[in-house]
Amino acid sequence: MSDVTTSEKTPGPLARLYQGLTTIDFVGRRKTWFTISAIIIVLGLGSLAIRGFNLGIDFKGGSSWTVLAPHSSVSSMTSAVERAGLTNPTVEKLGSSTYQVTDDINNLPTAQQALVTNKVVNAMAKEAGLPPYQVSTSNVGPTWGGQVTSKALEALIVFFIAVVAYISIRFEPKMALAAFIAMVHDLLVTVGVFSIFAFQITPDTVIAILTILGYSLYDTVVVFDRVRDNTNTVLKSGEMSYGEMVNLSMNQTLARSINTSLVAIMPVFSVLVVGAYILGATTLQSYGVALFVGLLSGAYSSIFIASPLLAWMKEREPRYQELAIRSAKRAEHRTLTPAAAAMMTSDGSSPRPNRVSASSLTGRSSSSAPIQARARKQKRR
Amino acid sequence: MAPQVGSRRSMIVSLVLTICIAFGALAATLSLGWGPKLGLDLAGGLSAVYKPATPATKADMQEVQTILTNRVNGLGVSGATVNLQGKNVVVSVPGVKHARAVLAVVGETAQLLFRPVECQVTQATKTYKYTGTLPPCGSQYLMSAANLGVTPNNSLQGYSINSIAPDPKYAHVAFTRPADNLATKSVILPILGQRGVFYLLGPAQMTGASVSKAVAQQNTVGQWVVNYTLTAKGSPLWDSVAQANFHRLLAIELDGVIQSAPIIQPTQTSFTSFGGTGEISGSFTEASAKNLALAMTYGSLPVRLVPLTTQTVSPTLGHNALVAGLGAGLVGLALVLLYTILYYRALGLVIVLGLAVTAALLWAIISALGHTAFAPSFNLAGITGLIVSIGITVDSYIVYFERLKDEARAGRSMRTSVDRGFRSAWRTVLAADTVSLLAAVLLYLIAVGDVRGFAFFLGLSTIMDIAITWYFTRPIVILLGRRGSESTSMMSMAAGMNAGAVSE
Repeated sequence: MSDVTTSEKTPGPLARLYQGLTTIDFVGRRKTWFTISAIIIVLGLGSLAIRGFNLGIDFKGGSSWTVLAPHSSVSSMTSAVERAGLTNPTVEKLGSSTYQVTDDINNLPTAQQALVTNKVVNAMAKEAGLPPYQVSTSNVGPTWGGQVTSKALEALIVFFIAVVAYISIRFEPKMALAAFIAMVHDLLVTVGVFSIFAFQITPDTVIAILTILGYSLYDTVVVFDRVRDNTNTVLKSGEMSYGEMVNLSMNQTLARSINTSLVAIMPVFSVLVVGAYILGATTLQSYGVALFVGLLSGAYSSIFIASPLLAWMKEREPRYQELAIRSAKRAEHRTLTPAAAAMMTSDGSSPRPNRVSASSLTGRSSSSAPIQARARKQKRR
Repeated sequence: MAPQVGSRRSMIVSLVLTICIAFGALAATLSLGWGPKLGLDLAGGLSAVYKPATPATKADMQEVQTILTNRVNGLGVSGATVNLQGKNVVVSVPGVKHARAVLAVVGETAQLLFRPVECQVTQATKTYKYTGTLPPCGSQYLMSAANLGVTPNNSLQGYSINSIAPDPKYAHVAFTRPADNLATKSVILPILGQRGVFYLLGPAQMTGASVSKAVAQQNTVGQWVVNYTLTAKGSPLWDSVAQANFHRLLAIELDGVIQSAPIIQPTQTSFTSFGGTGEISGSFTEASAKNLALAMTYGSLPVRLVPLTTQTVSPTLGHNALVAGLGAGLVGLALVLLYTILYYRALGLVIVLGLAVTAALLWAIISALGHTAFAPSFNLAGITGLIVSIGITVDSYIVYFERLKDEARAGRSMRTSVDRGFRSAWRTVLAADTVSLLAAVLLYLIAVGDVRGFAFFLGLSTIMDIAITWYFTRPIVILLGRRGSESTSMMSMAAGMNAGAVSE
């Protein structure tokens, strides 16, 4: 095969990522990452405690009417529905020409509710110059939101238990715990952002949040799968601490993590921008906002929360403590590039150590020799 | 050396079969003119969730389901579904234009009660809720046979009758609210088509269960009436009730509104058997007569239903949402494809082809499922599930291709890389997809409403991802890799991988 790389030049950050030459210290700087997350979560929870949520009618009960009325205005729509019998309506303009009226008429008797609903439908249809069936309506009783919430919570709890059990069996309990904490992190961040920006919470938001949790976990599992692989290969060579090995795994999967997150966020971004704002489908907004915030948080937490947390927990185990001490005794701090590690674990064709040292970019000239040595050692096993 | 992940022959077969099945299924679906069953948020229509007002048994709820299904079908709308979800009944009628009219009929309990009229009452403008049992009517206001004094004669009407004034005792008593309207209690209810007229009614003596069938018809003078047939058991019961109320007013109440309060056989001097049939006349319009007939035919519900949420979506707003959802999905997909081609170049084309196969197969499956009662209809939540699954599907390729780069970095030949890379990537894809599938299955089983549709489509596309990775991605990349180590076409693949420090 021909050499098509530009490894003799100093590659930029993107090229390094592309060629597997990154050496970001994810584990060592965990305090920085944890602090960033803590600040966001505390801000969010603070806002939640003071302002609470902007709950949609599906959760607090109430009625809403929606109509497409390009030639109306909020004030004329308000007076139209007030004349129809609403006492305290909230009128919003959604997108370019959609009007939504919200009010709570649950305290009226059932027959009266139907009557008022129909009057408002007719008033809005008249205002929009459309037949009445073009007005969308939604009536939510006071107990429905409770059911939606409790069912979603039930699903969430069962999901948490199932996932922790699955990862504990498939991988190991500490990975399950780290993944779980990352998931709770995403939940708290998303919920906090919703409270801070007063985005409305609808059942669609709940769906989106459930998706995020599944996705965050999916992302974490891919990284942990690599950690498990390396536990069986790199770690057995005995010259790397668990933390260093996790760092290596992170750098190895970094290109994948970034690509995957981009690929996941692009369609969601499209939902938000194209669907909700350009084409004006307001229901897509609830999905878009929650998914967008949550995916960003999920991508961040897999890299910056779950893995450093795992390394921190594992390094407290006696067998890895020993490894860590041994690793620390060596003068140099080992940050291996994925490309170098690939050579190290190779059992096939011969690697070219001089190339590795030239491109590892750690600036530590002594790194080429031990890599070659370890590679041979492993080959003998 | 590493064992191969399958023989060349079997991989060619798998690849060709997958592509043929996917596009064959798509062609078949398109030629049959099948499309996905659109949910009400996309097609417009109505959806309502009801819960029983009082605790109900499973058998009760199944009866409710049957009756509601008959009622909706009786209205002549198509594509309606009535499902039980836990203790709730979910009615959804996509595509119906005049959704609010349908809602009015579907939503009512249709509890049909036959109650004797005790007296008429006046309703004051300002009323307060009366608690406890209603006091009896004053004797001079009572609509007893003696007070009414119905006498058959040869007049146009066929009889004469004394007029009795409303009992002023109830002037400040509000009419009975639905929650207090029990068959065993006396109630004050309004009468259909006569504004401001209220009757105090005694406990019910018969229910709609005695009626087997009813039709709305116009009689000889063009008035809308309801003709009904009684069941075998209902016929003698009706005769005994009618005889007890001979020459008195008997109210036929439907969900808290008196539909009609006829006088029993006023033109006859003595009671004769109805013989199992009868006619109800009153101030009916065509709609209210048909409504009553429908309620009498399909029966009343065993429990009263309370609407938890009702929703009607205008066809225009639904169509807008569909266009926006599909538009957003396509733009998102295009962005993803552009990115993967820029990043992986030739291998990016594998992703494009793979997504085309997945999309063809998914569309065929969703359309075919649209013809079964099993699948949830395709709504915005479902579209979102699919859009999210674009990320999951493409990720399987990314995991594999990044592994390929790793293998290539380790100095392995393309031939061995594609095999080894697939085996480790396959394990990762399985582990990650299991989590995704776990989430989908749990959500589907536990959650209510739209969440289920979302979970269904997420789960479907996750299964699809596993299948496509094994039957499509594996053979195509491995075949390309094996061929490519010698031929020039591999140059582009290698360029796509641009495998770092590797060189020979």
